[in-house]
Amino acid sequence: MQTNHHKILTANVHHLDQHLLSKYEERGGYQAIRKVLKQTPEEVIQEVKASGLRGRGGAGFPTGMKWGFVPKNLGKPIYLLNNADESEPGTFKDRLLMERDPHLCIEGMMIAAWALGANWSCLYIRGEYGYPAVRMEQAIEEAYKKGYLGKNIFGTTFSLDIVVHRGAGAYICGEETGLIESLEGNKGQPRLKPPFPAVVGLYGCPTVVNNTETLATLPWIILNGASAYAKIGTEKSAGTKLFSASGHINKPGVYEVDLGYSLLDFINNECGGIRGGKKLKAVIPGGSSVQVLRADELEGVKLDYESIKGAGSMLGSGGFMVMDESTDMVEACLNLQHFYSHESCGQCTPCREGANWVQKIVGRIYDGAGTYSDIPLLKSVTSQIAGHTICPFGDALVTPVLSFIEKFPEEFNTRIAQANGIPTFNTGEELSSQVLDAVSENAKNVAANV
Amino acid sequence: MSESMTKAQELVNLQIDGKNVSVPKGTNLIEAAKSIGVEIPFYCYHKHLSIAGNCRMCQVEVEGAPKLTIACNTAASEGMKVKTQETSEQVKEAQRATLEFLLINHPLDCTVCDQAGHCKLQDYYYDYNAKASRFIEEKSKKIKAEKLGEEVIYDGERCIVCTRCVRFCDEYTETGELSVLNRGDRTVIAVNEDRPLNNPFSGCTVDLCPVGALTHSRWRFNSRIWYTGSEDTICTGCSTGCNISVHVRDDKIIQVKGRLNSEVNQEWMCDEGRYGFDRFQPKERSKTPLIQKGNYLEESNLTSVIQSAKSFANTSESSPSDIAVFVSPFLTTEEIWLTSEFLKNTLKQSAPYQQAAIQLRTRKLTKLESKLISPDYAPNARSGNLFGFTGDLTDWRASLEAQYDRLLAQLRAGVIKRLILIGDQAILDSDLDQELTQSILAVPNSLALTPRGLVGGEIVLGDAPVGAHQLCKLIIPTQTVHEKNGVMLNKDFRLQRLKALISPPNGSYPEWLVLQRLARELGSSILPDNVTDERTLFLHMLSKLETSDMKFPSGGFKNDNPFKELSNSGSASLRVIGDNGFVL
Repeated sequence: MQTNHHKILTANVHHLDQHLLSKYEERGGYQAIRKVLKQTPEEVIQEVKASGLRGRGGAGFPTGMKWGFVPKNLGKPIYLLNNADESEPGTFKDRLLMERDPHLCIEGMMIAAWALGANWSCLYIRGEYGYPAVRMEQAIEEAYKKGYLGKNIFGTTFSLDIVVHRGAGAYICGEETGLIESLEGNKGQPRLKPPFPAVVGLYGCPTVVNNTETLATLPWIILNGASAYAKIGTEKSAGTKLFSASGHINKPGVYEVDLGYSLLDFINNECGGIRGGKKLKAVIPGGSSVQVLRADELEGVKLDYESIKGAGSMLGSGGFMVMDESTDMVEACLNLQHFYSHESCGQCTPCREGANWVQKIVGRIYDGAGTYSDIPLLKSVTSQIAGHTICPFGDALVTPVLSFIEKFPEEFNTRIAQANGIPTFNTGEELSSQVLDAVSENAKNVAANV
Repeated sequence: MSESMTKAQELVNLQIDGKNVSVPKGTNLIEAAKSIGVEIPFYCYHKHLSIAGNCRMCQVEVEGAPKLTIACNTAASEGMKVKTQETSEQVKEAQRATLEFLLINHPLDCTVCDQAGHCKLQDYYYDYNAKASRFIEEKSKKIKAEKLGEEVIYDGERCIVCTRCVRFCDEYTETGELSVLNRGDRTVIAVNEDRPLNNPFSGCTVDLCPVGALTHSRWRFNSRIWYTGSEDTICTGCSTGCNISVHVRDDKIIQVKGRLNSEVNQEWMCDEGRYGFDRFQPKERSKTPLIQKGNYLEESNLTSVIQSAKSFANTSESSPSDIAVFVSPFLTTEEIWLTSEFLKNTLKQSAPYQQAAIQLRTRKLTKLESKLISPDYAPNARSGNLFGFTGDLTDWRASLEAQYDRLLAQLRAGVIKRLILIGDQAILDSDLDQELTQSILAVPNSLALTPRGLVGGEIVLGDAPVGAHQLCKLIIPTQTVHEKNGVMLNKDFRLQRLKALISPPNGSYPEWLVLQRLARELGSSILPDNVTDERTLFLHMLSKLETSDMKFPSGGFKNDNPFKELSNSGSASLRVIGDNGFVL
């Protein structure tokens, strides 16, 4: 049974000709920007603030408030950057929007640019997104031809240029200051903060970096009003959100659901339940950088920022990864750590050296060469990465490993026990609790002596 | 006086480890802590480079901040309460962990590393941990012994990617040869194949490297640093007077490093000064004074030579304008002052001296070179400028050079009957052509005080001379600029200390001693008997300078009379303090 969710972003994605400007306009496109241009930028910012729209890139920071940080009258240009460097493992929602409804993304950028007073905007799209990049470029070209981009848009004083910049395949360029560095032609490495990009950003000018999904929500808010948007979802998590569901489910894909929707219902209805009738084991609800949730922790959890936080994880980017009972959690953890080790930009010490160390330790446990001191060692190493780095990558890399160890300790302990000669049986049975107790007791003793 | 002192600055009051401290607004926490003697550890921070904040070693606790913050990127502000590793366990633990991260992939090649012994990784390891590593995995492999340029070799495994070298090439030389390549623990420093690190200051990157990742290609594996003695002195390559420290072992120069002095050279020096540092040190040295006999030079002794130099005295036959005194710019200020006393008292010349010249040749520099290098090769010509060798203090290089050329022309014209060369390169080798050679040989009385080597009886005069000194009738072996203690004045009248690095060979005499002997022989004493060494010479000079008529330009120079403060203090011990230059 499909629940009736609002279709704010995905109303037209099933039309295969939606990428054409004429079709987009036929279905009500470019009306919001016409309306916005009759309002003052302050009114638009007020409207977005009132809607309760929060950044969809992962942090969930209120969009209107972010725009409010931009200082006015600095005498410098203001830049709007559309962050389409969608690299978080498990996340592929922006791709759908750019492929299927590129003009929606453009119109969203236009509204934000008007509100911020920006006349130059850039779509920073991840290098691997070849097709979406082409779609966006074609759409932008079409908009230019029609006079919707460029100088004096719709006969007003508003001018806007949009360029598409393709990344070169670095996860860290999705971090806003890393993105700015990359755009300036430097190595994609985050900057020290303060100063924040809203004050000193691209080429030293005030810069706002918004996620593609966030910007694509704006036309609907303008046309239907902030209060209509605020009514959807929960009190603190307004509106709808795209979830890119993947993993051991029958119907992987991108789904737009009202925030506040039940997580288990989402798995069972939208995602079509677990593949092969197996049992659900775990869910990573918001992209690889958030905590994994065990199946038994999901009861009553809703898909909104607060509820998922209450369950001990984060909504993040909506990269919804489902794992069934056949999943080897040590291997899953190693997979993620391999990603973080590969993607650490190498700028600051704890992450550059720590990411690889963590991967090597998890890899050793997976390979059956773990020792009893490895779990406390992992905890100690990760505690010195988190919060000690220039950008949030450090926190992102330790979150999965810590949550995997915390949520599935028996799988790690079993591997270590095997490596240390304690027999297990190939019947799929887990170690008896007595053996496990002995193992963890031993681990504690060893850890105390390290 | 430094700019920071003269500018009225707003002070902020804060607490570091419970101690109150006032620093100028905008000072970062590393410098603020330093001012009360707390050393916050760091690798990537450098006072004269931009803030990178990547080593994470300088994390401190600031009251009210949600997490630890890096001291290098945090400006001191009013009422701030800071806890460093001295008082906060959390900070100490974070710094220990950062060091652990730096070391996990760092190779254990301390036993062959040039940095060993002056390596901050080693120092902090003993401060923070000194335990066996918890890292039992295989270390990452990276490039080793990669040539970045003519003078600099890179070791990727030792590198901690602090990017000081990259920032130096971006910000100071603005040549941008270096950049960071790759990501994560594969990160290395690299150059473009077609644009190697060959700028005139490339050696500074080695100084800046806090570990052993960058080494001097010509000095690597020279010596363990603990077998060397280190002296803080100045570079004598030009009149900038860069502050440096020199490592010496068994009277050989092992390594030259820039030394922090914000007002002279920050911490930089040019490659020409660094790698050409021992060019003032001749391989061959004279063992005895020499006297020209016929076509040969015969070994003699100081007393005989000085006695022979009696002919330099003013007589009824000589005229004040038939004498020429060429003075080396490599003499110490004391020796140049003494030379002027010799000219005044013994030869009865009056300042500005018409018959004496400091050797100075201006040189052309590129825009980049002139950021630090002065357009001359005369480290102490400024002193001559001050003691009556020319009147013009502003356009001083041109006026000194003109005087030198004028005197050379007189020599060529054959009007000079008495010629004295004092110090190394008193007449430049490059000025010595066939005509000048003949002119010098034709001078009836000539005396050279030179550190450069000649072996008596073997050199045939006029046969491809190695220098003007060789053509003189009397030659006294003296000491090189590396063998003397004293002071020098740089182009900005900054008084800086020159330290003896190498012991002078037997049979050589310092110029001041020879001048004194000579003056006495010629009937006037220019030094009292209690001047027996360089220190007493310096103090004697100070006592004389109080009443002297030294001229300093009014305004336009950073330093007021640099001697005034010294001569008033009356203390006898000399020392050099890093950032403040010279104090008594």
